[in-house]
Amino acid sequence: MPAARFRQIAPTLLPLASFALFLAAWELAVAYGLLRPLLFPPPSRLLASAVELVVDGVPRGKTLADHLLVTLMRIGGGFLAAVTLALPIGLLIGSRPVLDRMMQPIVAFCRSVATLSLLPLALVWFGIGEASKIFLIGYGCFWVMVSNVIAAVKLVDPLLLRAARTMDTPRRQIFTAVVLPAALPRIAAGARIALGVGFMVIVGAEMIGTTTGLGALIMEARTFYRTDVTFVGMIAIGLLGVAIAAGLTRLERVLMPWIAFDWEAAR
Amino acid sequence: MSAREDIRIDIRNVGKSFPNDRADTPPVLESVNLAIADNEFVVLLGRSGCGKTTLLNIVAGLDQATTGEVRVAGAPVTGPGGGKGMVFQQNALFPWLTGTRNVMFAAENRGLDKAAARKLAEELLSLVGLAGIGDKYPSELSGGMQQRVAIARALALDPAILLMDEPFGALDEITRNEMQDELLRIWQARSKTVLFVTHSIWEALMLADRIVVLAPRPGRIILERTIAESRPRSRASLPLVQMHEDIWQALQER
Repeated sequence: MPAARFRQIAPTLLPLASFALFLAAWELAVAYGLLRPLLFPPPSRLLASAVELVVDGVPRGKTLADHLLVTLMRIGGGFLAAVTLALPIGLLIGSRPVLDRMMQPIVAFCRSVATLSLLPLALVWFGIGEASKIFLIGYGCFWVMVSNVIAAVKLVDPLLLRAARTMDTPRRQIFTAVVLPAALPRIAAGARIALGVGFMVIVGAEMIGTTTGLGALIMEARTFYRTDVTFVGMIAIGLLGVAIAAGLTRLERVLMPWIAFDWEAAR
Repeated sequence: MSAREDIRIDIRNVGKSFPNDRADTPPVLESVNLAIADNEFVVLLGRSGCGKTTLLNIVAGLDQATTGEVRVAGAPVTGPGGGKGMVFQQNALFPWLTGTRNVMFAAENRGLDKAAARKLAEELLSLVGLAGIGDKYPSELSGGMQQRVAIARALALDPAILLMDEPFGALDEITRNEMQDELLRIWQARSKTVLFVTHSIWEALMLADRIVVLAPRPGRIILERTIAESRPRSRASLPLVQMHEDIWQALQER
């Protein structure tokens, strides 16, 4: 291979190569007895389990697609509900210093309560059905989102507001045409963090009262000593996260083209 | 009311101190009096901390005087806007709007419809030498180009007064000199009253009809010089070199 061509594809090739090397080392370590297959099932076993999961399902009849879809609905429902609530509330608090001072301790407190510690309460309040799971995800996402929206509004560069005022901008328009777009990048970053919280909460939220969903799959697999399925479930959650993050990046580029340019320039 | 009809900006006895100042801290500004005529180009010159930017902000209506008042065309200043365009030291363009859109923002606030605002924006961008870059975002422009857009944006309000707070302070010297020429050209094309803040003596000498030198603690006027020399001016001109020396002396005596 010519050197120039290699340099061109190296950025994609090198990470793939190191990943392949990692898998090969893992496989060999199990084959030579360095790793116990029950604790660290080899990649070949994981592949077989993944096929089993996709075709037959674990437990039988509940395929990977079923688990994925249910988990996606729960995360999506909780996350979207949280964002829908947190946006107007955060914008309001962030633009009123008095409200901000009043809410600061409450937001800090609620954000600090580990979401999963609410699991017993959620079960009492909402039962073991979907509602309690969506509530937990929504709770985790909401406080992260609301504190980020508040910060985004408060951190808008005062110079831009002064500039707007020297241009006879009406008050309402200062909010809609200056504060909102100026806060948008931080709001988007907050949404990303909130989504991450949703993914952290989901496995815990699915531990109880359900056999469907990737979190439930992981827990069920443990009960039956199916470490391989736990691994496959973990990987599926990770891939789902990567896919959603890629979607968010696209959305951000459409919503904030002026920042998309910065990224390309920085490269 | 001022007796003279052609007074555009009348700064009367303006003082400024901050509520948190200790009792023995001299005020930021102390009884500053300055009358600026229509279409006059006045430069406020002084070292950092002499209150020149504070004075400009008071004229702009972004800051309030503790004592005294500022009148624009006879009426007391109650807030920003209203025929007072402003160009800031740092890039104060909206990063989410393209160059043209930034200028249109000001034009639309003046009541122009979209089509008229776009037409005016394109016209002003070519006036400041930026024809054809209107689709770029501020982050894609150099510092000098950003300030040109900022000037076009301020002009889009069609203000009688242009307030400029060290607008070229962040630029390299060559760009800065070019921008000074450009500003003079624009000022001559669209008669405006300009109040310009700088700490560069040469910048003041190249631009001003009148230089007002401020000294700090308390901020006050220590020297005023009218420059009769026609533009474009040369840095080698003997009267200007002499004036540079006078101002330098005054700044050191404080």
